[in-house]
Amino acid sequence: MELRFENVTKNYKGKKVLKGISLTMGTGVYGLLGPNGAGKTTMIRILADVLRPTKGSVLYDGKDIHATGDGYRAKIGYLPQDVSFYSDFTGRDYLEYSAALKGMEKTHAKKQIEELAYSVGLSDDLNRKCTAYSGGMQRRLGIAQALLDDPEILLLDEPTSGLDPYERIKFRNIISAYAKDRLVLLSTHIVSDVEQIAAHIMMMEYGAIWHIHTGREHIQMMEGRVWLAEMSAEQLMDYQNQAVISNVRAKDGRMEVRIIEEAKPAGDAVQAIPTLEDAYLYLFNYLPEKSGR
Amino acid sequence: MSLFRFELRKLLLGKKTVILLLCLLALYSVVGLTSTMFLIGGNDSYRAYEESAAAWEGSFDSQKAAEAEKIYQEVSARYGTDARMIARSVKDQPEVILAVDYHAYTERVEEYWNGTPPERAEEPYGIALLQGKIAELESQGKQDTAACRELRGSLQRLEELGEPEFANILLWENLFNNWGEHMMQFLLFVPLAFVIAPVFSVERSSGMDSLILSSKNGRQKIVAAKLLSALIASVVVVVLYLVATFIFGFLPHGSFRGWDVAIQSVPAYARSMFRWKVWQLAAVGAVWLIFTGAVYSLLICFISSRMKSQMGTVGVSMAVLFVNVGLAAMGDAVTQRLGVLVDFGLANVTLAKEVFGGYKVFRVFGMNVSYPVMAFLVLTVIAAAAVFGVCRGQKSRTIA
Repeated sequence: MELRFENVTKNYKGKKVLKGISLTMGTGVYGLLGPNGAGKTTMIRILADVLRPTKGSVLYDGKDIHATGDGYRAKIGYLPQDVSFYSDFTGRDYLEYSAALKGMEKTHAKKQIEELAYSVGLSDDLNRKCTAYSGGMQRRLGIAQALLDDPEILLLDEPTSGLDPYERIKFRNIISAYAKDRLVLLSTHIVSDVEQIAAHIMMMEYGAIWHIHTGREHIQMMEGRVWLAEMSAEQLMDYQNQAVISNVRAKDGRMEVRIIEEAKPAGDAVQAIPTLEDAYLYLFNYLPEKSGR
Repeated sequence: MSLFRFELRKLLLGKKTVILLLCLLALYSVVGLTSTMFLIGGNDSYRAYEESAAAWEGSFDSQKAAEAEKIYQEVSARYGTDARMIARSVKDQPEVILAVDYHAYTERVEEYWNGTPPERAEEPYGIALLQGKIAELESQGKQDTAACRELRGSLQRLEELGEPEFANILLWENLFNNWGEHMMQFLLFVPLAFVIAPVFSVERSSGMDSLILSSKNGRQKIVAAKLLSALIASVVVVVLYLVATFIFGFLPHGSFRGWDVAIQSVPAYARSMFRWKVWQLAAVGAVWLIFTGAVYSLLICFISSRMKSQMGTVGVSMAVLFVNVGLAAMGDAVTQRLGVLVDFGLANVTLAKEVFGGYKVFRVFGMNVSYPVMAFLVLTVIAAAAVFGVCRGQKSRTIA
């Protein structure tokens, strides 16, 4: 299975939201990392066939997804950024309605709804009104909906927003188990969401994808660029405007500052073990568009 | 559950909709009941009317006509000539109501023989008038023209139908008024706009659009499911209206008297060219209202598919209705200029008395097509265009 973006451009109200994206995705988990407004949701919406590109096309196994229509949409599971519900629907109604939209056979749908509700921890709440669910429960219900009918392509837009740490871990486990032989595209601005499970991480900003690497490659790229230095609170106030700082920790009355910098920032600075979060900050702060920041 | 059942449930079985339907049922029942109560006083008055009318029923009688004329003159001198005003003023005097009805019947007989007064801008009607117009065209050598053929057809139909007869159709006339006045359009089509409006626009306002449009059945099958559920919802609302006004129109007096007389005995249908009985007209009228309600519902579906909010859909749907009613209510000079726009506007085609109460013919590709057939065709085309628009819209719909 192959999903290919061919020079996909999207203009919206005179603004280029996507700038000629070309990339190919196969099976596995892909993390789409980027700040708010980077174009992640637009990219996911185009893949979900709810938005058409201004230029270029998206091909599923060599065929245009828009031309394939129902055939393509039958293969996707989509969790939108904002999950919405009908006010008088229960969780079960919502999942049954989603199953009907996906054209699932009734008995199979009922069985899978029970299984998915169990795996997202909603078995006891299925007969409650969706609107009475907490934010996290609504998100989990949305995830169950996206997983209905075992889609070949799973598109998740900010899937973990509103989930507590335990629910996030559970979500990651579900996706990891699910991703075998399938394509999962997970869009987020939370680095830890993709760090553990994404085989490929795409860094996106300004409507373009700047880097596609594995998490390990991103971290390797940061070797020699992450530093720990100690300074006073006053020094930090001056320093934070001229450097990329990924973390600050108070330590014995001084500040231990984690700095992302090409060269050693201070004489007493020591190298630190880089993380994906460091790579994220490095890439988005050293983009050509941000030079001079 | 199938997609259709979900759509029907969303549209018709929501708490708010159920409450609205119950309120409508109550309102329609009150409409049926009050219209009958204003028609004639208590049950005793109606029984008295029924007994007296039984003696007056049948062919035209000049002696009874003279008697009725005398009473009518006295009544109109006191209450004016407005039929509704008279009806309200004399509702406890069955013998006066009967005389007024017979007076109106006398005028219909007069029109049957002598035709439409020349100042009235209506289709030619009446034996003498039609004969005169045919003779005029024949004298000009136009005996083979379409206009002449049309007039001959009208004359032949009128002769076949024969002179109207008088009958007690008091309660049926009330029913046809409830089913065929402009008030009905507001009572029925305004609530219909509220019930149908969410059909597509709810997906935008609720944000469910993303889920629907990205699904396998979210572009085509859902349209069929939504349209079908909208049609069923419209049938439910119309049937509520029909049943409530029927039951509460007849219930107070417990009589169906006049059910099997010719529809030409009903004033609004005196000029009809259909050889129907009153009960047949009631059946046709009910079916016609269901049909026109369905067409209006499809139109609302189309509007709903283009609007982002339900209230916006309701607003535009009502604007369409009000503009149509407004146009139809204009004077003859305006309506004649607007021609087919008024003839086939919602205000006229939804009224059975307009469609089935006269003999209007349209020339289409050299053929004479009657108003009911044309109205059916035009409404079918409007419905098909609305469905096509909805299908196209859903297929290309995106989320910005």
